[in-house]
Amino acid sequence: MFSNIEFFLFEAFRSFQRGALMCFVAIGTITVSLVIFGLFLLLVINLGNIIGSVSSKIDLAAYVEKDLSLESAGALQLELSRIPGVVKVDFISRTEAWKKFQEEYGDTLALDEIIAGNPLPHTFNIKVRTPEILPMVAKRISEMDNIDEVRYSGQFIEQVRSLIDAVRIGGAALVVLISFATLLIVVNTIRLTVLARETDIYIMKLVGATNTFVKWPFIIEGVILGILGGLSSFLILKFSYDAIIARIAVALPFVPLVADQRLLALVYLVMVLGGTALGMIGAYISVSKVLKAEG
Amino acid sequence: MIELVNVSKSYPNGIDVLFNISLNIGKEEFVFLVGSSGAGKTTLLKLLYRDETPTSGKVIVDRVNVAELDSSQVPYLRRNIGVVFQDYKLLPKRTVFENVAFALRVTGAPRSTIRRKVMQALELVGMLRRANAFPEELSGGEKQRACIARAIVNNPPILLADEPTGNLDPTTSWDIIQLLDKINKRNTTVMMATHNKSIVDDMKRRVVAIENGRIVRDQLLGGYNV
Repeated sequence: MFSNIEFFLFEAFRSFQRGALMCFVAIGTITVSLVIFGLFLLLVINLGNIIGSVSSKIDLAAYVEKDLSLESAGALQLELSRIPGVVKVDFISRTEAWKKFQEEYGDTLALDEIIAGNPLPHTFNIKVRTPEILPMVAKRISEMDNIDEVRYSGQFIEQVRSLIDAVRIGGAALVVLISFATLLIVVNTIRLTVLARETDIYIMKLVGATNTFVKWPFIIEGVILGILGGLSSFLILKFSYDAIIARIAVALPFVPLVADQRLLALVYLVMVLGGTALGMIGAYISVSKVLKAEG
Repeated sequence: MIELVNVSKSYPNGIDVLFNISLNIGKEEFVFLVGSSGAGKTTLLKLLYRDETPTSGKVIVDRVNVAELDSSQVPYLRRNIGVVFQDYKLLPKRTVFENVAFALRVTGAPRSTIRRKVMQALELVGMLRRANAFPEELSGGEKQRACIARAIVNNPPILLADEPTGNLDPTTSWDIIQLLDKINKRNTTVMMATHNKSIVDDMKRRVVAIENGRIVRDQLLGGYNV
C-alpha cells in the first residue's frame, strides 16, 4: 500500500507538470469562485452585524409611579434585571432626569414659570438581548407593581425584526445558491483536466487498474488544486477586506464593520477548506463519470 | 483456456457483429483469427477481455464466464490477459520502462519486483537498451515490442493481439511474429487477429476464419485461404 500512495502522489504531481496551463486555469477558476463566495459571505455577516448593532441600541423605558421611594426603586431594579432576556437595567432618578431635562431645554423654556417642582418619575432604561423579545418583556414589565408606563418604539422594532429575518433567510439561500454554482464551475473545470487524460484512463483500465486505483491520483490532484485555489482566494480576500475596512473606518466611522479577527479567520478557513472540498468532489465526480463511460 | 458458446453480439445501434459463435481454444495454442475488415475479429477479442459484453452466449476465460463477471472483477480478469494493439496504445508522456511498469503498478506490486520484472520483459522483447526512450522516439517495430512487453510483464496465461503487424513492414512484422511465437512457447495461449496472409501461411498454425460475423473455417495447421 505504501508504494501505491507514493505512486499516487507522484502521478498527481506529474500531471501538474504536464498540464500546467490547465491546472493554472483550474486554480484561477476556483480562486475567482471562492472570492465571490467569500465576498458574499462577508457582506451577509456585515449586514447582520449592522442590523444587530442598530437593534441593540433600542431599549425600553419603564416609568415608575411618581411617589415611589428610592429604596423601593432599588428593589425594583433588582427584580427587573432578573427578567429573562434583560441584559442591562440603568436607573435614572427623577432628580437626575429633571436636571438633564433642564440642561437641555432650560435655555429655551422658562421651566420654573411653567412647572412647579419636578414632574418627572424615576425611570429605568432596560436593554434586552434581542429586539424580537421587546414586546414580550415590555408587557411583562408593565404588569409589575409600581410600574406606571412602559415605552419603546414598537413599529421600528417590527421593521428591524423583519429586516433581520429577510437578511438571514435571503442570505442563507444565496450562500447555498452560490456554493452550488461554485461547485458546478469547479467540477466542470476539473472535468477538463480529467478529459484531457481520457486515453490514459482507458489504458490504465486495460492493463487491469481498478477504478479506485485510477481515481486516487485525480482526487489528490483535485485536492491540491483546491487547496491552492482556496489559499489564493484567501489572500486576495483578506487584503481587499482589510483595505476596505481601513477606508470605511475613516470615511464612515459610524458603520460597524466586522473586524473580529476570530470571525474573519473562520470565514477564511471556510474558504480554504471549501476550496479543498470542491477540488476533491470535483475530481471525484469527473473521474467517476469518465470511468462510467468506459464501462 | 478460452471457450465461446453460442455467442452473438449486436451493438445498440442495431448493427449485428457476431452470430452464434462457438469456439474452443486449449492451453498453449497459437491461433490466427483471419477475415476481412469488419468481419468481427476485434469484437471477438474485446469480448474476451470484457471491453464488450455479448448480447447472448457464454464467454469462458480460464473457467470463468466473463460475460457475467461483475464489473468490479474486470480489472483482475485483465491482469490475466495481455493485449497487444495495432496502434500500440502506449502512454505518450512516459518512457518505455514506465509504460511497461504501469501494468505492474496497478497490481500494487512492490517497487523492486516491478523493476526486476520490467527488465525481464524488456529483455525478452529486445528493448532493454531503449528502456528510457519515449514512444515518439521509437520506430513502429520498437513501439510494438514495448506494447508486447507491457502485455506479458504480468506473465498472463493469455495473450491477445489485434492486428499487431498492421502498421509494420514485412521484415519487422516477421520479427514480431517470432516474438509472439517465443511467448507462446513459454506456455502462453496466443490469439492473433490478422490480415497478413504470408505470415499465416508460413506459420502453419490453427486458423479460425470469420466472415460477416460467422466462423466459416476452423483448421489446424491452416493457411490464410482454404
